[in-house]
Amino acid sequence: MDGYAGKIVYADLGGGTVEIRPTPDDLKRQYLGGRGFGAHIVADRVDPTLDPLSPESVFVLASCPLTGTGIPLGSRYEVSAKSPLNGTLASANSGGTFGWKIKKAGFDAAVISGRSEKPVYLFLNEGSAELRDASPYWGRDVYETTASLLADIGDPKAKVACIGPAGEKQSLLACIMNDDDRAAGRNGFGAVMGSKNLKAFVAAGSLPIGVADQERLNAVKERIREKIQKNGICEALTKYGTSVLVNIVNENGILPTRNFQSGHFAGAENISGERIAETILKKNTGCYACIVKCSRVCEVDGEVHEGPEYEPVWAFGADIGNDDIKLVTKAAWECNRLGLDAIGTPGAIACAMELREKGFIDEGPQFGEVDGLLDLVRQIGYREGFGAELADGSYRFAERHGHPELSMSVKKQDLPAYDPRGLQGHGLSYATSVRGGDHVYGYMIAPEVLGSPEKLDPYVSEGKAGWVKIFQDLTAAIDASGMCLFTSFALDAKDYADLTAATTGMAMDADTLLRTGERIWNLQKVFNIGAGYTRADDTLPERLLAEPLQDLAPKGRVWEPGRLLDEYYALRGWDAEGVPTPEKLKELGLM
Amino acid sequence: MQVTVKVFATFRRWMEPQAVIVIEDGATIADLLAVLTGRHPGFAGDLFSAPGVLKQYVNILLNGRNVYFLQGLSTPLHEGDLVALFPPAGGG
Repeated sequence: MDGYAGKIVYADLGGGTVEIRPTPDDLKRQYLGGRGFGAHIVADRVDPTLDPLSPESVFVLASCPLTGTGIPLGSRYEVSAKSPLNGTLASANSGGTFGWKIKKAGFDAAVISGRSEKPVYLFLNEGSAELRDASPYWGRDVYETTASLLADIGDPKAKVACIGPAGEKQSLLACIMNDDDRAAGRNGFGAVMGSKNLKAFVAAGSLPIGVADQERLNAVKERIREKIQKNGICEALTKYGTSVLVNIVNENGILPTRNFQSGHFAGAENISGERIAETILKKNTGCYACIVKCSRVCEVDGEVHEGPEYEPVWAFGADIGNDDIKLVTKAAWECNRLGLDAIGTPGAIACAMELREKGFIDEGPQFGEVDGLLDLVRQIGYREGFGAELADGSYRFAERHGHPELSMSVKKQDLPAYDPRGLQGHGLSYATSVRGGDHVYGYMIAPEVLGSPEKLDPYVSEGKAGWVKIFQDLTAAIDASGMCLFTSFALDAKDYADLTAATTGMAMDADTLLRTGERIWNLQKVFNIGAGYTRADDTLPERLLAEPLQDLAPKGRVWEPGRLLDEYYALRGWDAEGVPTPEKLKELGLM
Repeated sequence: MQVTVKVFATFRRWMEPQAVIVIEDGATIADLLAVLTGRHPGFAGDLFSAPGVLKQYVNILLNGRNVYFLQGLSTPLHEGDLVALFPPAGGG
């Protein structure tokens, strides 16, 4: 017993076969689980130049050793593949209960290859795996698919991860949803499933999840539980959810507004966590084994769902110039229902709004006119009407119309809810994230805005390269372990190492944990280089380098790369072009 | 002089979300906090871990700049300044 379920299922959709094999020990040791499993398996089997939507593409859904063991906030799973949005070796993380349930079903991971002739779903149940006909569900949205599958299987305790119409249409903004409203949101993995005619995963069963040293784990659990409960940031998440960030980020002058045209939104209070708590909030809830319960359950016009979270609140709010929280919430739910990335979808809309504002297109949405917003989101999900133009993201849309500089994206993936013109460190994180525009792979907001673990001056570059590397490596390890990233406000690398050691029985200290994360990071980086990425791609949109912010303290600021990239590459043990050296790869066991 | 004070999240249990405060010329952030905690006595417990020491993760912005990177609680105020007070908070 070591936290793992002990089996991986390999499904060849072309041949319609499944094979179950033991989870290899060296895979656990080198890569832990989750994002680590995904990175290794995809890198091992996929040529970096492969078309990500071809049958040869390999897709990994992997749970993690700490998930489902009863460790507080140990609930996550990861999906990995070559991203169809931008060709990177990427992963997306999700919570809820699916990560726990796939282990109860007897599996650490599912590795999917090939393309099925007809729609199928993978049914994992008490140690067995079966590909089943998904034709009755093809064409249905996420909520309908989930409810129908559970009803047809006849097990109300089963859990579903699925795609909606967006994934079926292979929109590059398509994501994978579980537990109705939890998203493995970024990088277009819904399209990978759609390209394989794979509609869903269903996990059922009640197999035990054992750990190596329960007594030691109990002691560590008590220690971390106390740290989390006493942590002020975690406390605020319970009360206000992630949208507590709206006012914080806005008052810092870095809330991207109207497609990053400014950093301050006059209507921010109206879409804040405080306003949500006063109006549409019914209660809070959480993922498996969560003691923070940051999720919101809200009601709008008689409809009740989980959400909205800070990113879609910002993106359907400030980024498109809308301060109607009910409309924001319904738009976020529409993304969930359709299986769309709730950052990239409004990002594409915001980009279209600016192109229209500047007269580069003469149809499409406009800032300040939100009547057609929900219809437009649906169009994007079904690739219809004007939505078909936006369904592959802002970069391809803007490029098609001759203005790629108006896509606020890095490596073709839309940037999230923090303007890097006021954040030297977070800007470096954006520029260097191995999956493109993204905030969670290296969440420098914690020190530069929130003051966790300490306050770092956001306007200063000195020292930031080192911090970014540590955040990126630690996050990769956390993504392999199964812990929710919000624990990083309260816990340190030693805590994660102790949890991992007690659960798995593997020798693990903070250094080994960080090295595991560094190994995962470098694996993703090497793949990306093979896919054609160079130093020139580790940058930000021109606007963020050249057009200064206009409001509050960051007025006059742009993101200044300066020597940041050189310092970052050097600290990573990469050459001047950002290529991992043979010495570094050997050190990490990658060569 | 007059400054505008905004408070957020759990700090709103002590005072209204936004208020204009009249304070003597040359006042500092510390002086402003003394005025606020004088009017709302419980507020001090949320702000300070010890006299003159802000609690961990409490952030005070002066016109959008964290005062930690200015002169801390000794940062001087000027007419028309905007001071935003945040309890520990965060997300992703």
